[in-house]
Amino acid sequence: MLSYDYIKCTDLRNVFQELEEGQQVYPLAGGTDLIVGMRGGKFAPKTLLDIKDIPEFNVLEENDQGITIGAAVTLNEATTFAPIRDNVPVLAEGCHSVGSYAIRNRATVAGNICNASPAADTAAPLYCLDAVVNIVGSDGTRSVPIREFFTGPGKNALNKGELVQSILIPRPYPEGKGVYFKASRTGSVDLATVGVAVQRWGAQVRIAIGAVAATPVRALSVEKAVNEKGQKDWTEAARLVHDDISPITDLRGSREYRYHMVEVLVRRGLEQTMGV
Amino acid sequence: MAELKTVGTSIPRKDAIEKVTGLAEFIEDRYMGPMLYAKMKKSTVAHAKIKNIDASRALEHPGVKAVLTGKDYPNMIGLYLIDRTFLAVDKVRFWGEPVAVVAAVTEEAAAEAVELIEVEYEELPAVFDPREGIKPDAPIIHENLADYEIVPIFYPKPGTNIANHFKLRKGDIDRGFEEADMIIERDYYVPQMQHVPIETHKAAVQWSPDGKLTVWSTAQSPNVVRQLLSKSLDIPMHKIRVISSYIGGGFGCKAGASIEGLLVPIAQKYPGHIIRIVFSREEDMQGTFTRQALYSKLKTGVRKDGRITALQYEMIWDGGAYTEYGVNIVRAAGYSSTGAYDIPNVKTDSYCVYTNNSIGGPVRGFGMCEMQWGIERQLEAIARELDMDPLEVRKLNGMKEGSTTAAGQVVHDLDYDQCLQVVADKISWGKKESGSEGKFRGKGIAGLVKCPAQPSNAASSAIIRINEDGTAHVMIGATEMGQGMLTAISQIASEALNIPVDKIDIKVPDTDFTPYEWQSVGSRITYTCGTSVKRAAEDALGQIYCVAADLLETPQEDLSFDGKKIFSTKDPEIKATIREVADSCKKCTGEGIAGPIIGRGSYVPTNMTNLDPETGQGNPGLFYCFGATGVEVEVDSETGVITVLQLASSIDAGKAVNPQLCEAQLHGGTIMGLSTALYEEVRFDKGIMLNRNFTDYKIASIDNTPHIDSFILETPETKGPYGARGIGEQPMIGVAPAIANAVCNALDIEFNTFPLTPERVWQAIKDKKNSGA
Repeated sequence: MLSYDYIKCTDLRNVFQELEEGQQVYPLAGGTDLIVGMRGGKFAPKTLLDIKDIPEFNVLEENDQGITIGAAVTLNEATTFAPIRDNVPVLAEGCHSVGSYAIRNRATVAGNICNASPAADTAAPLYCLDAVVNIVGSDGTRSVPIREFFTGPGKNALNKGELVQSILIPRPYPEGKGVYFKASRTGSVDLATVGVAVQRWGAQVRIAIGAVAATPVRALSVEKAVNEKGQKDWTEAARLVHDDISPITDLRGSREYRYHMVEVLVRRGLEQTMGV
Repeated sequence: MAELKTVGTSIPRKDAIEKVTGLAEFIEDRYMGPMLYAKMKKSTVAHAKIKNIDASRALEHPGVKAVLTGKDYPNMIGLYLIDRTFLAVDKVRFWGEPVAVVAAVTEEAAAEAVELIEVEYEELPAVFDPREGIKPDAPIIHENLADYEIVPIFYPKPGTNIANHFKLRKGDIDRGFEEADMIIERDYYVPQMQHVPIETHKAAVQWSPDGKLTVWSTAQSPNVVRQLLSKSLDIPMHKIRVISSYIGGGFGCKAGASIEGLLVPIAQKYPGHIIRIVFSREEDMQGTFTRQALYSKLKTGVRKDGRITALQYEMIWDGGAYTEYGVNIVRAAGYSSTGAYDIPNVKTDSYCVYTNNSIGGPVRGFGMCEMQWGIERQLEAIARELDMDPLEVRKLNGMKEGSTTAAGQVVHDLDYDQCLQVVADKISWGKKESGSEGKFRGKGIAGLVKCPAQPSNAASSAIIRINEDGTAHVMIGATEMGQGMLTAISQIASEALNIPVDKIDIKVPDTDFTPYEWQSVGSRITYTCGTSVKRAAEDALGQIYCVAADLLETPQEDLSFDGKKIFSTKDPEIKATIREVADSCKKCTGEGIAGPIIGRGSYVPTNMTNLDPETGQGNPGLFYCFGATGVEVEVDSETGVITVLQLASSIDAGKAVNPQLCEAQLHGGTIMGLSTALYEEVRFDKGIMLNRNFTDYKIASIDNTPHIDSFILETPETKGPYGARGIGEQPMIGVAPAIANAVCNALDIEFNTFPLTPERVWQAIKDKKNSGA
């Protein structure tokens, strides 16, 4: 039975008491994964802990360190935040490609990574930007790089009683263009069959890919060829991506098609960011 | 024909204000009294004997009032072939088949109790491919097929899985092939799809202690629900009342009767309670009709000049676990098997085969999308083999006034050439555009035709009550599921009565008060119900003249009615208001002339016949509606992504009763066709439906919908009301083949199945490269 307590927390100090003392307590921010999962029987919370109005989670600001995106910041808020659009548009593209406009009005950036789907559309851009996940618990705070935050399909680095407080896009920002390409069945309101983020950093490039392994991955073989070996033939460079990924076959696409599409999208990403 | 006032104008929908303000009532909006909620326990295997069902724990669960199993429902039900029970009895035939039903005081308690029911199965060998199922040594799914009651126009083969074998023999097939210069053979496959109406299946029933059964249902036909419940539960019709709410889309999935009967035994245990069931999206996807998959083989004989001399068409349909309705789709596809073309020599065998997949059943198009996919792809193959213009091949073989269908029925009132030409012109047919690098452009065209698939005596009726003030109520049994029936029908009533449409009230049906209607299916309501309404209006008008003649002491033939008053055409001063006539008319002396005016009209086709069992020849069509689709696509050869650049759709409506609604139907059908062409496919693994939610069953969204150029032609249907014919299903039929033809034109690759997903297109491009073609 979908019967549960609903508690709204507005003070961060009270959150941990609820998380630690209660049973089956699930934090609620956007709820777009949680509520759907509850309906489908994936989650059975006894308590929903609404964290949307905790001030620390609502931070969306730029300072000397970079851009901080609080845990309750929605995808649409992030997409339209000028410092994100101006400095790291690749992230805006990733945020914008999740679900529909209505979904993005509720869904949060932090929720997208906490759900830890390897296909998360914000993940590949965050990998390219070396984002830092700020985690808060009753014992204080800690920070982990985004690539350590994803630990497996649906699994993340949070310990029991911990929450993501914010995501930091650290300075310096990349110099150069970044793109997020998503292949999907319908091209809109769909999950990524594969998602590819390519971000230029001056003469260097960073590439991250979603939906091709247990977690999002960096295309380190391609990056090495371009950044260290001076490979300028993007077709050749893109071909190396096969070493970085291990996609599976599912309803959204076959392993073979995923390999192919990643190669195509990496090449197109290199062309668009690094020049033809 | 006199100039029309209302018919042919785009008046606002009758239900617009109710719907945009949220006042329109759907089943779940109604508070009906003390409730019990029903949930079904579903089978976890596709084909098995039921060894035991233990419901003891479910019965002890708090809030549970009843748990019933197949033993409580021995009666069978079905529209054409009575092969179903409400719950599985002794064996299950598809994954997700209901084996038990729980009624509880809350929906949640019912759902929890369902989990506590334990069912023991003994699995049986299963059939998931009808091509396997048709083989003599295949496991038999319905052992008692010989005993099933069936409408005698279907031909099951007891001892096999063939639920219907429709045979058609026109002309001389051997001679047809001899006359041909070339024989072209292709295999085609169309997968299952789902209707995806915005509202899922719902029903509620109440049993009154005096033996009256009231049913609220999303069914497309309250009268069929009443008929089937009456027959299967042995309750006389006057003791069954079926009330239709507004329905949030049907597309065929709510045709016939499905879930209502399941609730009746529970209702009988708890008189006065309302027992309600609401399907989740997943249940709706898996547990209701799917479009039957079709494996087909076409062999066509064609002369060098492009004329088709012979067609041999074999269709093997995946009927699913029950084919009570599906047998008629197989028949309809069979008797229509030349599509929009006049082919002199035809041999068709259309088989409905039981499998252990989800139940097949009616979907918009009723077999025509699947069958004409083969025809329209085959026409393309012919044009390619002969190096002819595909448009010319279509026009050359296309039906014209006086042509005959596969069944030998002569067609009238058509302009198929023009349907093709308008879409061809719109997309600048014959002018090849080049795409940007790595992108290939192509143009494609496909024609279509469909007649309503209905029993030859499927009837309609209408009652029109003229109120004391000269306003009117139109009472009919058709359902409103978004298609705009209420509006079109009231326009026909208004036209015939000469009463303004805003003085006419019309509501959704309630079988205790509204007259008989067979079903709101088959694009037939505008024609059939419309005709009965026109007749009822003429009957009422006749009474008005009769009463007025008496009142005004003037011969009836001299009278005219302008909507407000009845007057003499010879002396306008001799007149009476409609109020005076309609309000229990009396003479100036006070003597009464006539009571309230009630018009009645009924309709049954007189032009349809049974078909010869051996040759399939006869008149199966009430009317034939033609149309065409033209598209231009651009294909990204690297990713396989198809972009539809132009989409033009034409339909010959005879007379568009409401042009705006007509265009909306045209758009809706075209988008639904586009969605099946590019995205939609039900995926099974050993009978388990894998994509039963919107995460993985993808339908076109507004982002995927290009601009649609629509053309409504008006070649009058001689016997239709004001020349109108139905167009509801038709716009969908041509879209998938038109897109595939365009992709073929772009890539020089023949696609014999759809949806044309990026991956499928990419795979085909890769295969072509690898084969060195």
